[in-house]
Amino acid sequence: MLANQLQEKHCIQRLKAGDEAVFRALYTRHNQPLIRMAATIVNSRATAEEVVQETWMAVLKNIGTFEGRSSLAGWIFTILINKARTRARRDGRSVSFDEGGEDDNLSTAFDGHGRWKAMPELWDEITPERIVAGRGLAEHMRMAIDALPPAQRAVIVLRVQQEFEPSEVCAILGLSDGNMRILLHRARLSLRATLAKLL
Amino acid sequence: MLSCKDIADRASALNDGELSGWDALQIRLHLAMCKGCSRFVAQMRATDQLAARASDPGEPLEHEADDRRLTEILSTLRKEQSRH
Repeated sequence: MLANQLQEKHCIQRLKAGDEAVFRALYTRHNQPLIRMAATIVNSRATAEEVVQETWMAVLKNIGTFEGRSSLAGWIFTILINKARTRARRDGRSVSFDEGGEDDNLSTAFDGHGRWKAMPELWDEITPERIVAGRGLAEHMRMAIDALPPAQRAVIVLRVQQEFEPSEVCAILGLSDGNMRILLHRARLSLRATLAKLL
Repeated sequence: MLSCKDIADRASALNDGELSGWDALQIRLHLAMCKGCSRFVAQMRATDQLAARASDPGEPLEHEADDRRLTEILSTLRKEQSRH
């Protein structure tokens, strides 16, 4: 068994035993990503925070029944998505992640032979701290991610930021593998285009 | 022969290490000859790294709010436990 799987098993046992320090560590690691995720489904940041709070309560109440068929984080995100969808339905919203979204933003970048019309720039010093147009690049990136369509944002949070395996991202969001990959690629193209305008 | 557009379409799969064999070889050949595509693939990789690192909460205000909410969760839970 891999070291991190052992660590996860230990973490789950401690949570089942009511270890507050382990819960604190789990909470600190996942709370903000959970809020960002919930915000892709419900209509406001405040509602997203409420849904995340309910999710943590559910995690603590139901940890005894967690069987480890997914990762612990995957289980927590699945609870969150269910709660956020229930809340969105109650508020008269429906969010489906299973959408292709619009075309990618490279459709005009190539000539009739599929060659670059303009050569992509060479980027250097892409650090989160670098200041461009009055803000750090990390801040620009957060804003660009927030501006993505919900399905693309959800895939970026889970696959790129939380580093879930593709199969787990598909399970959490209820997406086919092909559709998840299209959403991921389009999201990355869109974020790249935002950076390209800044740099 | 793959075009630059084909490479751009496969940049995610390439950076995620999901291509193998003939696909990967064709792309490596193209990248070795095409500065535009090498730059584009590097840009996509840099974008991803920045997106991954942009998730750090960082903001002191967010930490404070998190701490407050965590205390609420734990105190609700303790109350419930003491009732049982």
